[in-house]
Amino acid sequence: MKKLEEVLRDWEAVIGLEIHAELTTLNTKMFCGCKLEFGAPPNTHTCPVCLGLPGALPVPNKAAIESIVLAGLATNCDIEKHSMFYRKNYMYPDMAKNFQTTQGPIAFCMRGHLDLEVDGAGAKERIDLDGLNPGESGAEGTTAANVTRTEDGYVAHVGITRIHMEEDAGKMVHLGGGEGRIAGATHSLVDYNRAGTPLIELVTEPDLRTPEEARLFMQKLRQIYLALGISDCSMEEGSLRCDGNVSLRRRGSTEFGTKTELKNMNSFKNLHDGLAYEICRQAEVLEEGGIIYQETRHWDPSSKRTIVMRVKETADDYRLFPEPDLAPYDLTDEFIEGVRAKLPELPDQKAARYMDDYGLSSYDARHLVEHRATVRFFEACMAEAGEGATKLAKPVANLAINDLTARMNADASFDLEGCPLTPARAVRLVSLQAEDAISSKQAKEVLAAVLDEDKDPDVVVEERGMKQVSDTGAIEAVVDAVVAAHPDEVARYKDGNQKLIGFFVGQCMKEMRGQGNPKLINQLLAKKLSE
Amino acid sequence: MAAAGEIMQMGVREIREGLASKELSAREVASAALETIERCDGEVHAFLEVTEKQAFEAADRVDAALAGAGDAEAAVRVLDEMGPLAGVPVAFKDNMNQQGTHTTCASRMLESYVSPYTATCVQRTLDAGAIPLGKLNMDEFAFGSSTETSAFGPTRNPWNLACVPGGSSGGSAAAVAAGMACVTLGSDTGGSIRQPAGFCGVVGVKPTYGMVSRYGVVAFGSSLDQVGPFARSVEDAAWTLQAICGHDARDCTSQDVKVDFLAAVHEGAQSIKGMRIGLVKEFLEAKGLSGEVRAKVQEATEKLRSAGAEIVEVQLPHADAAISAYYVLGPCEAFSNLARFDSVRYGLADPGHKDLSGQYEASRAKGFGAEAKRRILLGSYLLSAGVYDKYYYPAQQVRTLITRDYVQAFESCDVILAPSSPRTAFKFGEISDPAQMYLSDIFTVPINIAGNGGMTVPVGLGENTGLPVGVQVIAPQFKDANMLRVGAALEQAYGPAPLAPEFAGEKAGE
Amino acid sequence: MTQYLSEDDVRGMAAYARIGLTEDELSQMTVDLNSIIDTLEPITEFDLEGVEPTFHPIGSLSNVMREDVEQPSFTQQEALANAPQQQDGSFLIPSILGEGGDR
Repeated sequence: MKKLEEVLRDWEAVIGLEIHAELTTLNTKMFCGCKLEFGAPPNTHTCPVCLGLPGALPVPNKAAIESIVLAGLATNCDIEKHSMFYRKNYMYPDMAKNFQTTQGPIAFCMRGHLDLEVDGAGAKERIDLDGLNPGESGAEGTTAANVTRTEDGYVAHVGITRIHMEEDAGKMVHLGGGEGRIAGATHSLVDYNRAGTPLIELVTEPDLRTPEEARLFMQKLRQIYLALGISDCSMEEGSLRCDGNVSLRRRGSTEFGTKTELKNMNSFKNLHDGLAYEICRQAEVLEEGGIIYQETRHWDPSSKRTIVMRVKETADDYRLFPEPDLAPYDLTDEFIEGVRAKLPELPDQKAARYMDDYGLSSYDARHLVEHRATVRFFEACMAEAGEGATKLAKPVANLAINDLTARMNADASFDLEGCPLTPARAVRLVSLQAEDAISSKQAKEVLAAVLDEDKDPDVVVEERGMKQVSDTGAIEAVVDAVVAAHPDEVARYKDGNQKLIGFFVGQCMKEMRGQGNPKLINQLLAKKLSE
Repeated sequence: MAAAGEIMQMGVREIREGLASKELSAREVASAALETIERCDGEVHAFLEVTEKQAFEAADRVDAALAGAGDAEAAVRVLDEMGPLAGVPVAFKDNMNQQGTHTTCASRMLESYVSPYTATCVQRTLDAGAIPLGKLNMDEFAFGSSTETSAFGPTRNPWNLACVPGGSSGGSAAAVAAGMACVTLGSDTGGSIRQPAGFCGVVGVKPTYGMVSRYGVVAFGSSLDQVGPFARSVEDAAWTLQAICGHDARDCTSQDVKVDFLAAVHEGAQSIKGMRIGLVKEFLEAKGLSGEVRAKVQEATEKLRSAGAEIVEVQLPHADAAISAYYVLGPCEAFSNLARFDSVRYGLADPGHKDLSGQYEASRAKGFGAEAKRRILLGSYLLSAGVYDKYYYPAQQVRTLITRDYVQAFESCDVILAPSSPRTAFKFGEISDPAQMYLSDIFTVPINIAGNGGMTVPVGLGENTGLPVGVQVIAPQFKDANMLRVGAALEQAYGPAPLAPEFAGEKAGE
Repeated sequence: MTQYLSEDDVRGMAAYARIGLTEDELSQMTVDLNSIIDTLEPITEFDLEGVEPTFHPIGSLSNVMREDVEQPSFTQQEALANAPQQQDGSFLIPSILGEGGDR
């Protein structure tokens, strides 16, 4: 199979996402007062409503409706005042009523969008932007129409079709087959604790063109939902889930190809890799003259393949009709404005503020707001730094984005807020470096020691005798000695071999066992040698 | 001590007076009811389950409360505190969940299902001090107009055991007509209270949609279903409505409307002077309306006119469309409501199949009777892609027109008087064509479509068949008091409903 | 009478509704359904141009919601009390392979 970048030269991928988020931060389920709790013993959070007992009736959770309106406002959606719940009828054992209560043609949130900033290696997957200069957008009607070029990448404008409110199904465990898989299972167990969990489904327009864009969209949406506090967005526990629709068309073609639906992309990596594989697979089929069937495929990360789950011969007929047990919605301005008042500062707004207030680069600001933990850390450090905040913002941001994010990525249990690197210590650490008291290399050593040994940076520096010698007198003595000891090199330097300055610095450092302030050594050497 | 038969002829007020004066104990009432059921229900088959233990427990609670009352005045206060149905023997249609009882909906599907929770209407009845006697027979899942589709055998009409009691709440009507309960609850999706009330010669009230909570009542047509009482007098029905009506936070379609039903009955019994009674020409000229029923409606009209009411003619231009709209909407909602009976969480399961699909199909084939299957398949068809736009959507538009018709008609009248069914009770097996059976609801379904209140009041016997005839009094939405007033006036003219003669004499233990 | 549904159509409806029908039941059901659908025809004969549907016969009732407050749940035993088959605190069902679950 060809590589993705090779495929994308000849083919344009058209990708749409369906992203489900459970509103895990609420107390209770969508239509009943059962507690929301992940991991409870099976069937201990159920009642007549979520077990679908005969005669039970649903009553919607007001906080869930507020949450979805919040999500809509944060993703630039129009909030539809008038909408209804519908019944989506199909029989499946994890759905207690055998219909899912969801929304019809009009959802609470319609016609939104998010702008994605793509840079770095991922930006190179878009080969159709080569002709654009920074600031330019693709012409109407071209594949780059929704894209604006930036200095180091581009911004893609991704449409959101809708966000609708629905309920989650129960959980099943399949027994008797291999590894809990449904295939080969002899029987299954059903647990309805999750049944009726409030779920919002966001559907994008088919505006995404690369797996990287899909990954970034998902990431950005997750940041937004986390900032709103409406979900814990755990892809591992399934509270944030993503399905993708993918089709290919020849570069230059405007017609859509047949799409496949991709499931089980339960991490950002799986989302990217699953889509990348599927794009390459479709290209291979098409290039060999084959046809793509409209089917649902399952991404298997262990074999790195997508596997067909089922072929859709005809469109599903869910016999959707308005739910007679629930009153329609006519959201008032008062309700919507009340929700709007609860909108927190969103990641994009935060990044813009960091650029304005602290002079951070767009790159730093954007990556800083990727995690709530780094945001809180950065803000705590800025508060700690007081008047020196603006000066320290850049090194604190670097510390957070590079060192600390790396640690968080490497160790899922690393808790930035509870770790020994308090904001006060962090500010002290970057200050030491900014004051040239320690080198950048030493700063890394101090950071590691602070985290591992729970000590103040000053203590670490003291204990390890790291503090740079910035005493002019002491350095002058060493400089004099080194210059005196190397008359040949001095002569060559004076003849114009300026590079030899490095040799002298090295000799001085050696004398001082690495603790001399390199800046001062340089200055004093230059002065001495020019005498 | 009063004989069982005597007690079982008493209305709510007499029971209250008996309890207050200590001439009667609630335990005696419970015993009398259970004795009567024991003696009569072999023939009638109104009950699917008798809850003796719960009945005595409830009765003992009433007696214990009364024991502390020093005199009659104090006893009345105790009764008022307990609620409008203190010591009154009641029974529930078997589609109403009552914790610890079977709730079968007269279906094999739920034969062994035991309710783990209680419907709001049942809870309110119990909270009002009632003595719960048991669960009543019905058409399977309320699909039918004769109680013949019950999986556990039909209920017989106490007035003529060869005749159907009507349906789907046939057991609820028959139990009251035979004196096995003072009051019963039924549910009405297209006439299931009003038609059997007419067939069995008792009062049956379907309040405006939203007046009584549907929570815990197994749904048939969610936008049509409404719970209401059967009784032998309009006043007893009012006592019951007083207990069961009112807003319920567990039902989103429940309304916060307060009506003083008892006051309406007292007003109506005194005078209905100046009330405007609407007559609908289309109804009285309907094909299939029997002569004796038409004659009774005309007679009732005259009696109301003599009582001081003004008779006006009103138009319901879309009345014809109601029955087709009903047989679109009902099956569509039923199809979806009955999907939950899948053998996974409860209900009949036919085990031993290699996959779930096999278990689904076999369990539902065995669990549902023919009429339930017909409605499910019909709903599945009517909601399918392409067909939805031909029937379902237009039916909801027609509902708008019908509702508008009623709103307009009620601009010139306070209630509408109509037959409750085209004819008196028919014989078992007499109507076998389902489409024909559906026509027995032509006067009742429009009211469910529009959501109005409607009640049946017995007006004596038909001159040809000698069987009970009921007239239907229809009220504007939430003006249920209007129909109670007119119902009370009719009762003044005709007298309260007698027990079915066969069950009033020696069979009643006198 | 108009034939709205063939036996094959009814077979499809039954499969969708998960109700097993014998061949005899199927032919009787086909006759019954066609006869019923015939009585629904009046619905198709009205001029309904511009008429809004009434999905909820509840007047002006809208925005009915509850507060996000926890209510008691069933115990596991209560939840499973009516289960035809159970195992390890869960409802037990046969293999579902071939089912078209799609969410």
